Amino acid sequence: MSTENPQVRKFGTKQFIIIALAVMSIAFIWLGFTKYGFWDEFKGPRPGFFPVIISIGMLVASVLALVFSFKESAPSWPKENWLVPLSVVAIMLATFIIGLLPSIAIYIVVWLRWLEKCTWKTTVVVFLIIMAIVVGAFVLWLGVPFPKGLIYNALFY
Amino acid sequence: MENFQMLMQGFEVLFTFQNIGATIFGAILGLIVGAMPGIGSLAGVALLLPLTFRFNPTTAIIMLGALYYANMYGGAFSSILLGIPGDGPAVMTLMDGYPMATKRNRPGQALLTSNISSFIGGTIGMLILTFMGPALAEIGLKFGPAEMTALLLVAMTSIGWLVGENPTKGLLLTMFGILLASMGMDTLSGSPRYDFGSIYLLGGIPFTPFVIGMVGFSQVIKLMGERHKENKVVVNKLTIKGSMITGHDFKRMLMPALRSGFLGTFVGVLPGAGATTAAFMGYAAQKSFKSEEPLGSGAIEGIAACEAANNGAAAGAFAPLLALGIPGSGTGAVLLGGLMMWGLNPGPLLFTNSPDFAWGLIASLFLANLITLMIAWGVIPFLIKILSVPTKLMIPIITVVCIVGSYSTSNSMYGVLIMFISGMLGYVLTKCEYQTAPALLAFVLAPLLESNMRKAFIISQGSLGIFFEKPISLVFMILLLSIMLFPIVRPVLVRLGLLKKKVK
Repeated sequence: MSTENPQVRKFGTKQFIIIALAVMSIAFIWLGFTKYGFWDEFKGPRPGFFPVIISIGMLVASVLALVFSFKESAPSWPKENWLVPLSVVAIMLATFIIGLLPSIAIYIVVWLRWLEKCTWKTTVVVFLIIMAIVVGAFVLWLGVPFPKGLIYNALFY
Repeated sequence: MENFQMLMQGFEVLFTFQNIGATIFGAILGLIVGAMPGIGSLAGVALLLPLTFRFNPTTAIIMLGALYYANMYGGAFSSILLGIPGDGPAVMTLMDGYPMATKRNRPGQALLTSNISSFIGGTIGMLILTFMGPALAEIGLKFGPAEMTALLLVAMTSIGWLVGENPTKGLLLTMFGILLASMGMDTLSGSPRYDFGSIYLLGGIPFTPFVIGMVGFSQVIKLMGERHKENKVVVNKLTIKGSMITGHDFKRMLMPALRSGFLGTFVGVLPGAGATTAAFMGYAAQKSFKSEEPLGSGAIEGIAACEAANNGAAAGAFAPLLALGIPGSGTGAVLLGGLMMWGLNPGPLLFTNSPDFAWGLIASLFLANLITLMIAWGVIPFLIKILSVPTKLMIPIITVVCIVGSYSTSNSMYGVLIMFISGMLGYVLTKCEYQTAPALLAFVLAPLLESNMRKAFIISQGSLGIFFEKPISLVFMILLLSIMLFPIVRPVLVRLGLLKKKVK
């Protein structure tokens, strides 16, 4: 079954992306010419030289892509897919309070037990596998100092 | 002969406990990652990049090389047993692999055919790499800034052109990748640019979190939609004994594997073509030869042709990567990025300045090929369990690896933020039918392109003529202009009846 919606010739995400890229290229051209410099008679190419050339190319390609984009079908955006980025935002926020490892531990249990409705046995097995990878490879082997969060710092420092 | 002596020295470098362990570890992980539908070699290599920080550069790249290479073996497993290709190159394996497993009821033999022909194709690719690598490097030594600029432009635009269906989108993302790479510090003058006042952006966008996000995290978001699909394995039980092929089967597989091994290697050397194109071409070429059973009905010849071609291409792709510093695919770009992070500069001088590394890596591919064949054979009885791991369990595992992997590269949440943003961007772009591989390749090659382009313009005092004066750069420039103008010229050619309209 196709996930595409046949909404042809409407302004949508595809057009938005292309316009965003075009705006980016205009900003790079502007900054390249006005702030970083394009060409110096004696020194030759300046820091803005290369990005400006590429930006001009990108602007031309954006115009072409925009023309062709109206012939394409619009993509669909299943709501459940956004749960993954949402969970990462939650982990990032929780990290500042309780630290990264506890945030990850809570995420795994919540995700598997309540979202995926896995059994406690599966949840515990996957939990142990993930924590073994994180603690074994990243903490013990690579020695990564993961953030411990405000609560830990308040209690122990 | 000299190349063989250097290769033997490479084996001496390779034969340490750590390097052999890294090869075995990379091969096992590559098989698992390749076998699981939806992850692929690009995401696999990107996710494992942080784990290699503890190793020395040689061991690290040996492990990633083995992982990439083993992935080519693993991709066929799910094609044959599930009817779902594990990665791009395995799409063609499905054509005959799945019917051989289901209609002919010979799943074990299909797997073994795939493994042996992968081994044959890979060995051919590595032998050619042994000779072609240093020869390419010698040619590369003659390249000045103008030739390198033209070559890099061709490499970047051709991957944008060949990957995906829309060349304009490929070119757009190539230029987007270059602009992202130009943020931070201007490497030639040392002055900051496009940092937008952020101290984080002053150091540029960090490579590892960017790659993990673009290919790993974006993949997890996509997998959410597939998490309730059940992988139905076509057989209940597989044994090594029951998977043995007959002498007649071997005879049928040998010639297609040899032919496709050569063809695939040369396709792999071309920038942008890669293993997927090689598999398609290997299969298409087999149609011109006699097969005992019709292709598409479960013919051994079909499996052998595409598997040997994609493994030949995987090995062949190392020739331009090592000798010219130009990767042929997204995975090659990640490997190149890794090499640069470890302070190695792939290019014409690599074989002269770091022979231990260059030959150690080539030797490790030979070892990885042999080890992967043995492991791939050994895991046949366990494949059903590996392939039955539900996607819904893979999602939290990969998400956590993305987070901790990105954090570990900078020991800061900035890495996680970059991974998150690039992951979202990668997902949105993929949904809008953009391929992220051109952006990755451009991101890695942009500094090299910029320094060569600026040097060329300094030499020519701003004249474009420098790119058209020497024959090598002239040829590359003609190629580049043809690639860039084709999307515009194409509709005109179709209208004039000189080109057929593309049928989807």
